[in-house]
Amino acid sequence: MIKLNLAKNTLLISLLMSVSAHTFAFDFQGALKDAAKEAVKKQIDPSGNNTNNTSDTEKPASDAKITDLSKAEPPIFNWQNPSIDEEILLGREITGNLLGAAPLVKDAALQNYVNSVGRWVASQSDRADLPWHFGVIESDDLNAFAAPGGFVLITKGLYKKMTNEAQLAGVLGHEIGHIVKKHQLKVLQKQQLLNMGSNFLSDKYAKDNKLVSNAIGSGAEISARSLDKTAEYEADRLGITFATRAGYEPYGLVDVLQTLSQTSVNDGSVALLFKTHPHPDERLARLGDAIGNKLDNVKNGQTLEKRFYKLRN
Amino acid sequence: MNLLNKLKIAGSIALIFGAGFATAAETGSALKNDKMRFEPYADAKVTGTFGRGESLQIIKKQGAWLQVKTKKSTGWVRLLSVKRGASAASTGSNIATLANGRAGTGQVVSTTGIRGLNEQELKAAKFNETEVKTLESYTQTASQGQQFASAGSLKAISFTTIKSPQTNSAGAAK
Repeated sequence: MIKLNLAKNTLLISLLMSVSAHTFAFDFQGALKDAAKEAVKKQIDPSGNNTNNTSDTEKPASDAKITDLSKAEPPIFNWQNPSIDEEILLGREITGNLLGAAPLVKDAALQNYVNSVGRWVASQSDRADLPWHFGVIESDDLNAFAAPGGFVLITKGLYKKMTNEAQLAGVLGHEIGHIVKKHQLKVLQKQQLLNMGSNFLSDKYAKDNKLVSNAIGSGAEISARSLDKTAEYEADRLGITFATRAGYEPYGLVDVLQTLSQTSVNDGSVALLFKTHPHPDERLARLGDAIGNKLDNVKNGQTLEKRFYKLRN
Repeated sequence: MNLLNKLKIAGSIALIFGAGFATAAETGSALKNDKMRFEPYADAKVTGTFGRGESLQIIKKQGAWLQVKTKKSTGWVRLLSVKRGASAASTGSNIATLANGRAGTGQVVSTTGIRGLNEQELKAAKFNETEVKTLESYTQTASQGQQFASAGSLKAISFTTIKSPQTNSAGAAK
């Protein structure tokens, strides 16, 4: 056992890879932060106001707060406890930026197909009520992205590596997992609260702001790096969980990880993926440990290769 | 056709066959230390073991199991214990890089017209409202998803969330 762990640790973790890695790289590099600021600006700007409806069933307290504020003064983005609407607003901003870098593939049949698969898989999650959006983007890179509130994008390059619907379901399931667990949102909240905290620190009224103490407390505690890897492994397990629940052959995501593991680290199409994710070999090994015999009784999972939408080029 | 030519043809057929065979017997490597079993079942008799990184031949696949052959023995193992394909990630890396039209830096140098997604590009990207609206236009409802599933004979099953092994082993009744 000790030997095994040692061996795992010696794996070159810098050879990171995989399916949704980008989002995290993206997050940490600050682009996400910019998007967040943009989202806040938009919400504060009365001309761009939109979504303060109280559709948030999870957090009635924060809803009430926002509703009150909107009557008297400009609404504040509640970083401490964002509502679902705020989460979606943020995710939309991030997704719009990503689409600015790589637009959607102009193939409505493809986009519809991916939305059908994604919607069905997302329905097996704990956040089935989100308005889920899926898209294939113009890029030869192998990657996929999730943004808060139900936005999932995968590259055309990665799509082309797949041969059946179960594989697509597994990959989308991984991204859905990130959103369900609010991985990106949490990183963003931490960053943002920390920023606000450092601004407020020079303010003599800082003590009155509960937000500040919370932000500094949480920001200092957790290493973003380890959260990152843990989040990827969790998303892998959730991806398989959701795809399995959806009636697919459970090993679709594993197939894709196998393909990625055979891609050379020198291949530019996986540069970002490998930089931001644990190596697929490590992910496969972790999945193996987590799955054990748990899938032994799952029968009749579908791969649906005949229905899988083939790209023309 | 003279005998020599016939022999040549026979020879090339043999070559083709040989090549086909070589690709059929897929190679792989062990992702971890594991046991091989006589049949693709967890409680089948152990036929041998292999160590992490050991290279092996993949004979066939059955469900979540692979029949593999090491230097010493043959047996069935869970597919997540094996990395498929040539062992080293270095295989054909230069060719792949060239074929992809990219320089070693990850910069796009080809004429595909499609740019790679690197950090700088993502950072510099400008919000595109039209594309987001297009994306949103494809959104489906839960019942549309259900219809799509039914059309493909997909049936939802209840299945417990797979937890991390640490969490599992704590209260596992294995």
